[in-house]
Amino acid sequence: MDPILKTEDLRMVYRVGKVDVPALRGVDLAVPPGEFVAIMGPSGCGKSSLLHILGGLLKPTSGRVIVDGEDLTTVSDAQRTDIRRRKIGFVFQRFNLFPTLTADGNLRLAEHIHGNGRGRGNEELRREVLRLLKLENKMNHKPLELSGGEQQRVAIARAVINRPAIILADEPTGNLDSENSEIVLKMLGQLNRELHQTIVMITHNPEAAAVAGRIIEMRDGMIVKK
Amino acid sequence: MDNLITANIRQRPMRTLISVVGVALGVVLIVINTGLIRGMLNDRIRRERSVGAEIRFTRDSGGSQLTASSANTLDTRYVEKLRQIPGVKAATPVAGHVQSGKSGLGFEIVEGIDFDTYSAISGIRIIEGRVFESDDEVIVDETRARENRVRVGDEMQVFGRKMKVAGVYAPEVSSRVKMSLAAMQRALGAPNKCLMILVKCANPDEQELVQRRINEALPGNYVILTRDVGLGYERAIPGLDGFVRTILVLSILVSTLVILLAMYTTITERTREIGILKSLGAPKRFIIGVIEKEALAISGIGVVAGLIVALLTGWMMERMTSLKLEYNPKWVVIAVLVGLAAGALGALYPAIRAANQDPVKALSYE
Repeated sequence: MDPILKTEDLRMVYRVGKVDVPALRGVDLAVPPGEFVAIMGPSGCGKSSLLHILGGLLKPTSGRVIVDGEDLTTVSDAQRTDIRRRKIGFVFQRFNLFPTLTADGNLRLAEHIHGNGRGRGNEELRREVLRLLKLENKMNHKPLELSGGEQQRVAIARAVINRPAIILADEPTGNLDSENSEIVLKMLGQLNRELHQTIVMITHNPEAAAVAGRIIEMRDGMIVKK
Repeated sequence: MDNLITANIRQRPMRTLISVVGVALGVVLIVINTGLIRGMLNDRIRRERSVGAEIRFTRDSGGSQLTASSANTLDTRYVEKLRQIPGVKAATPVAGHVQSGKSGLGFEIVEGIDFDTYSAISGIRIIEGRVFESDDEVIVDETRARENRVRVGDEMQVFGRKMKVAGVYAPEVSSRVKMSLAAMQRALGAPNKCLMILVKCANPDEQELVQRRINEALPGNYVILTRDVGLGYERAIPGLDGFVRTILVLSILVSTLVILLAMYTTITERTREIGILKSLGAPKRFIIGVIEKEALAISGIGVVAGLIVALLTGWMMERMTSLKLEYNPKWVVIAVLVGLAAGALGALYPAIRAANQDPVKALSYE
């Protein structure tokens, strides 16, 4: 089966003053559709840079990133944004919900952007996602009226609502207590199993990584264990 | 997206209020100033046309008293020559002096008249007190007396000196303050000179014929039908166009700058939100659209608020002062467009700046 996400000799070098700081030193990765992958590693090992590049938020210094058959590295900034809109969903450590919108408003905004300003989203899918994430009764609450765990579940719902090719989760349990971490991880696993959603998750936490089907370890900008 | 816009407007009430006030201020400036200009001019024109004479004979091409503070160059001996022309029933000389308004704002016209011949043409009559008898006496119309609470025996400033109000006249015709023609000629150092001569026709239906006869008999002067007085006044008043343009530019500047600063501050506050939009795959045009629509919504509120404030201010000004306001639909539309355009223009730079933000930096913004 062709991988839904693939990188080839991915390199990223940041220029800090007059010094080149390498963040990625040739990362080769392949994720088949429907896989749940956890990427672990110490701080500064290049996990976040990798995730940002995989999501098209950063352009690598060299190498290739192919998401669902589209090469992110050979296209313009606008085209990369377009691929992100169609194929990628993000879940962040700090939830990153719009504080002025309700949970439902956050989901609808994501649908609106995904539909390129047209359409009203998929009502049926929204109900299904809300049911899976147990958010049916929280849709009219604003983020500040929700617990951290609930906010992260809304963020996951927002990421999955447009059925992206891949969900990129950046330390999704980093701001949660253990109870909420467990709930969120369980739900990510459930999405992966029930919707066959491909997920790539970055984490420090071995317990969180254990939920994934495969764990990749990074060190000094390289993958040391697949 | 509409939810995002309205939510942002509600979420930042102080920012919204300041922006609304900025746009409203621009709208008020335009509507009130152009309303005042139109109101005062039209009021003046109405009174100038109601003199009872069909023809105005003058040396000034515009025939306007508004520019005539030192234009009393017409020889009063023309009065006799005009009376000889067939179809002329009566003629009376009028001198004019423009001085600054009572409160230091605007201007006021004082006319020098020969009361008997002038009243015979215009129909004015003294309703309180008496007509002026000496050089330091004036009469005022009932509107001036009522609105400025001037009574017979009070003093007022004319030619920089105090003059006594000898009487109040009605109806309101031309300037609201009148004095003796001879006294004004002496004060101006222009003996036997006047600004214009009002000509009453024996048959008003023949005014064009009489106008032609006057032109033939006394060439080189300007013979204007009173009904045409006021045409082109707006162009004739020095600096009026410039004043209106200045108000317009000021309004655009004020509104644009307020919106620009407010939106710029908002964009900085919302850097992380811009990052979220980018992570969701929102293209630049979407982000620019969100910010522009928000600015336009705020400007719309500002425009409505400005129009309401302008109407209230105008109503209060008319009640509390002698100023007249007439709203010109053209300028109301211009004010609305200026308000909206200022919003769109002011938000453009912050919107482009937001759209060009680096998504990773924006997402990590504290």
